Amino acid sequence: MNVQFKKGVLELCVLVLLDKKDRYGYELVQKISDQIDISEGTVYPLLRRLTKEGYFTTYLKESTEGPPRKYYKLTDVGRSYYQSLLEEWQEFTNGVNQLIKEGVIDD
Amino acid sequence: MTKEQFLSKLDASLNKLPSQEKQDILQDFEEHFAMGLAEGKTEEQIAESLGSPAQIAKDLIATYHVEKVEATATTANIFRAVWAVIGLGFFNLVIVLGPFIALVALIVAGWTVAGAFIVSPLLVIINTVMYPEIFQFFDLFFSIGLTGLGLFIAIGMYFATRAVTSGFVRYLKFNVRVVKGGMKDA
Repeated sequence: MNVQFKKGVLELCVLVLLDKKDRYGYELVQKISDQIDISEGTVYPLLRRLTKEGYFTTYLKESTEGPPRKYYKLTDVGRSYYQSLLEEWQEFTNGVNQLIKEGVIDD
Repeated sequence: MTKEQFLSKLDASLNKLPSQEKQDILQDFEEHFAMGLAEGKTEEQIAESLGSPAQIAKDLIATYHVEKVEATATTANIFRAVWAVIGLGFFNLVIVLGPFIALVALIVAGWTVAGAFIVSPLLVIINTVMYPEIFQFFDLFFSIGLTGLGLFIAIGMYFATRAVTSGFVRYLKFNVRVVKGGMKDA
């Protein structure tokens, strides 16, 4: 898929994952790369940017195995940003899907 | 690439960032390696999936400069931010540098016109001193009129410059969000 396009969508992926519960960086990266082919390292700059923009807060939590983990938590601002992004995405994909459907029938 | 190599490369590429920020970033990747290793992956596998540390660093640096320009939009900050954003990918050479040069040229041209209009009576006086025989009152009054016009243009340019600057910073932010990075086929 087009490279430019995917990076914008990555933001939505992270927001979707954090909507349900707080997660730590490694977990987010694995969840996304299970589904989409990405360079995993770029999720971290994205997380930092969205944190600085006030969409997430972070906290450290001890884990039973390994070092303490940095968790990301969606803020209220982040949640409303997520809603608007999700709506845009659905409108967009519905439109594209509709065109594909019509195209397939016509052929 | 081993963990050590990955982190030191990232460290080196980030040396323009404040050290606190850099430590924070390196910490995130340390954590990532630690968890990957705990899952039984090798350092090489983890580094491979993370992608190029240089590209990751470019993304972080561009974000940092754009943020700084948002806080205080000095000329130096704007240039640094534009430069960092262009570094994100070849694509940006066209879609960032092009509009940037055009906007800078427009702003410089506007201010030059305003400046020239404002000082025009001075030019008439200089002209009169050098060639007193061609002095006309029309020139003097016309140039004073131009000064007034120039002042209005300068006021307009002040607001236009501010609007263009903040608009362009928003464009840079959008660009950092969308352009390049993250993808295997990049």
